[in-house]
Amino acid sequence: MRLRVALVSVAALLLVVGALVLSGVPPTEALAELARGAFGSKSAWAGTLRETTPLLLAGLAVFLALRAGLFNIGVEGQLVVGAMASVAVCLAVPGAAGVVLGTLAGVAAGALWALPAGLIKAYRNGHEVITTIMLNGVANFLSTALVAGPLKDPSQQSPTTRLLDASTRIPDLYSAPPFRVNLGLVAGLVLIAATAWWLRRTVAGFELRATGANLRAAEFAGVPVRRVMLWSMVASGAIGGLAGALQALAYEGRFYAGFSPGYGFDSLGVAILAGASPFGLLPSALAFGALAKGSTSIQILGVPKGLSYVILGLLIVVFAVVRYRREGARD
Amino acid sequence: MLWVLLVGTVTLASPLILAAMGGYVSERGGIVNIALEGKMLAACAATSLVGFATGSVLWSLAAGIASATALAWSHWLLTQKFRVDAVVSGMALNALAFGATNFFDKRFTDPTHIGEMPRLPLGAYQALAFALPLLLAYGVRRTRAGVRLMASGSDPDKARQMGVEPVAVRFWAQTVTGLLCGLAGAMIVTNAGRFVDNMTAGRGFIALAALILGGWRPVQVGLACLFFGFAEALQLVLQGTDLMGAKIPSEAWSSLPYLATIVALAGFAGKSRAPAGLGKV
Repeated sequence: MRLRVALVSVAALLLVVGALVLSGVPPTEALAELARGAFGSKSAWAGTLRETTPLLLAGLAVFLALRAGLFNIGVEGQLVVGAMASVAVCLAVPGAAGVVLGTLAGVAAGALWALPAGLIKAYRNGHEVITTIMLNGVANFLSTALVAGPLKDPSQQSPTTRLLDASTRIPDLYSAPPFRVNLGLVAGLVLIAATAWWLRRTVAGFELRATGANLRAAEFAGVPVRRVMLWSMVASGAIGGLAGALQALAYEGRFYAGFSPGYGFDSLGVAILAGASPFGLLPSALAFGALAKGSTSIQILGVPKGLSYVILGLLIVVFAVVRYRREGARD
Repeated sequence: MLWVLLVGTVTLASPLILAAMGGYVSERGGIVNIALEGKMLAACAATSLVGFATGSVLWSLAAGIASATALAWSHWLLTQKFRVDAVVSGMALNALAFGATNFFDKRFTDPTHIGEMPRLPLGAYQALAFALPLLLAYGVRRTRAGVRLMASGSDPDKARQMGVEPVAVRFWAQTVTGLLCGLAGAMIVTNAGRFVDNMTAGRGFIALAALILGGWRPVQVGLACLFFGFAEALQLVLQGTDLMGAKIPSEAWSSLPYLATIVALAGFAGKSRAPAGLGKV
């Protein structure tokens, strides 16, 4: 087992180094530039924290479902509909009421988008991976159609909504340009702490973990496993929707075609890397955020941006081999 | 217009059929495969890059198939030897393929795009795609290899008692999956002329949808692919025209395969028709 882990890690590292050599950049220099781009200055830190925010929340969404034994690949779609719903509401309702209603709309949209997957998993025994992949496709097409049609800003060429009014934006908690921290990041941190407490200290949290750990045993012990699966999927979708709403209201200020550059997929990596504790999400989201921010600066050196996805894939493989192993037959 | 629709359906359905049959072989052998998309994309890039570099049909096709097969073998190694969950492995391979194709395309493509990619006629792919479901339907029941494949995916423990080693059978199944996804990718890039970033655009997932909608039965899966190909062709033909006074956005057509799959999974138990030993060791 040790040997396999070592083998996979070395192979992954060789692939990345090989790719860097292929692009004509010395690996050490690329690594230094990556670190500089992510942590080298105050503005780099601000950018990294900005990239970390959606990954933290979307990662929590994947994490929660994973604890219940479900793969929510649909966070991507839930995030997109959440962002779109929140922007649509905030365009209509100005002021603080808009922020609250917009955020709630995002949460509701995300939950609603996960509902079919939860229902089909709990009561029809259809695999949640398949349904969420399909729901991602529908979310993608629905948002593209709406943002090119009814939600489109008529004065713009590209499919995008109007820019939100400053009064409906989530403000910065601390702002000393170029460094700033948005309230959205704090919301993510609080939610993670709350989830950790909930999973540890409540009956519902225990039932969720029991369902994920051993479905059959949980059922024998009297846990209503179908209901638990349904509600953990919906809760996961709600958090995914919140991630989209915060991303829209805190940072982007509008919704447009191609809003998510794959946050939902990155968050799978974040959740897998986090391991068994929600607090593991903090370092893993920060790592992915730094990778996203830093990879833009090595692009200037001539390394194509695809390399960051290669690293993402390899990271998932290495950590999956280390700890996320299937135990015998999965029911 | 009817002729255009027919040709469009056949051309758009063929790569779906090839990939879906790849998925069929993988899942009948007992390995969940959500990485059809990644394998097709890798084949697209490899076929295009090697085609431009060597000018040889043979080499470009071989490169496309080899890249998809390499990913398929990784899937086998990770799921069967390292016991990684097949969904995690599939996601990772999709990300890997997405990143690596972007990397190689940006690094090695001549930005002026001089010259042309050598191509096989589309008809060759189409003929194969339409024969394949029938061949597989026959093969899994009537040949030794086919029965061993079904046994490995239906009840690996009983297969083992009968002297069939499921892990070995699955290796060859993954090889076939790689080959077929490689051909599907090669056909897509042959049709387009050259590689574009993320050019498969979710077709691997539509093939997966067809596999489920067809209930893991080759001929039915092929028909589902035809239906999805028809929807895509219809969308291209009807683009921008009014239908009964209302303008249907093209996205509505594009989401049809996904919606159909969700409805199908909600309507009847998707699991009861799936290979019984799917995901078992």
